[in-house]
Amino acid sequence: MEKNWITYLFGKWNTQTVVAIAIGAALFGVLMIYGSITVFTNTRLTTAMIVPVVVGALYGALPAAIALFFGNMFADLLAGWGFWIDWSIGNFFLGLFVGLLPLYGARVKDGIFKPLHAVIFGVIAVVGNALAFGVLTPIFTVLLYGGELTITFMQAFAAFASNSIVLIAAGIPVLFALAASYRRSSGLRKE
Amino acid sequence: MNQNKFLIQVTLQDTFLHRLNGETKVRLFVVGLVAVIMSFDLRILVPILLASSLGVLFSKPNWKSIRIVFLIVVGVNLLNLFLFYLANPSLGEYWCGENTIIHQFSTRYYVSVETLWYLLVRFIKMVTSFMVSLWFIITITPSQFAAGLAAHRVPYKVATIVSLGFRYIPDIARDYENIKLSMQMRGVELDPKKASISKRLKQSLLILIPLIITSFDRVSTIANGMDLRGFGRGKRRSYYVEQDPTVWDKRVRFITNVIFILSIVYIVGSMIWPAPTNMWCPL
Repeated sequence: MEKNWITYLFGKWNTQTVVAIAIGAALFGVLMIYGSITVFTNTRLTTAMIVPVVVGALYGALPAAIALFFGNMFADLLAGWGFWIDWSIGNFFLGLFVGLLPLYGARVKDGIFKPLHAVIFGVIAVVGNALAFGVLTPIFTVLLYGGELTITFMQAFAAFASNSIVLIAAGIPVLFALAASYRRSSGLRKE
Repeated sequence: MNQNKFLIQVTLQDTFLHRLNGETKVRLFVVGLVAVIMSFDLRILVPILLASSLGVLFSKPNWKSIRIVFLIVVGVNLLNLFLFYLANPSLGEYWCGENTIIHQFSTRYYVSVETLWYLLVRFIKMVTSFMVSLWFIITITPSQFAAGLAAHRVPYKVATIVSLGFRYIPDIARDYENIKLSMQMRGVELDPKKASISKRLKQSLLILIPLIITSFDRVSTIANGMDLRGFGRGKRRSYYVEQDPTVWDKRVRFITNVIFILSIVYIVGSMIWPAPTNMWCPL
């Protein structure tokens, strides 16, 4: 049991996980650039937030965090709105929080995702967003870029609101769908 | 909009920057980024902008796709600047310490020389950071990127994540376009002029589900292929694209190291002796 706990947090670092992180990061980058609607300077209502949900549910929390970190870097690299390491770090922590799914019993790979898990997921998504973008990103903005706090907080609030909406409105249905599809393939039926 | 397909290179051309080693290019890129991020100073940004523009110029890029990306970047950044101004019109005061008002719209909204200067510097900083990314992207292949990272002691599994992700961005972007087109053919409206934000968000979820399935379907195929080739067996690995440094590699690495040391000096110096204003204002 002890060992499982560590696996859920850090992921199993085999080839599957490495590839899944890479694909998740690429997907995050593409969705940041194409699949998003601008709400404020440098913040978008983006469907990319679905990536940590899927990677976290299937591969663990740390893989989700790393996928978001590199995904944000890819997006910065290709989209040309400037390089913002502080947001990559914020996204890293967001991925860590969102990817905690298996730790509280939502074993999506075994087809287990109950309404209770959805509620916990929603709470963690909102709190994790507030922590990642309301506290951690501003700290790194000050450390790395200096100043600009008013605008960072405005951006952080916009990101907090839009990410929370996407995580809850899109993440929960996707998790139920994923769990259902894994349940089907596991061949177990509820008596 | 298929910009990424053309920007990410898989084969190398034969120009000066293309011939450099992966390690050299990665180091130059990271140091360039550090220099851009640390400074809000036109005296540092403009030389970097010129140097990286020359780098882009001499790498014979695909001008057609670069022009599109460049126009998008300029447009997005101008919009960002405008939103910045709306959010806080007295930005210039924070950065330069004073306010020379040219025109007053209302008590809150006015135009001052310092704010305009700040917005200009910010715009140039964004363009510089884009140019630094651009020369890097158009002169490096995903495997060179990974080899360069691994040469800087980044664990090779992380280097593999970067190169694989970099490699699959064009594929996923193409899938995204295809799924979007087929959805539009079935009557899903994604035009910002014709559908409201909540409706567009709901529609973009329709694209999302097939995109997730096709993207993560790949995972087991790629992972099996890599396992068959013995990925992850050893503690270290070598790269096919790893070459011995040429004379020019050594020269560029020397210059890069000098710039890196100067940047460290600049960062430490501005911590010990802070400048009177938050940025250089010759006004």
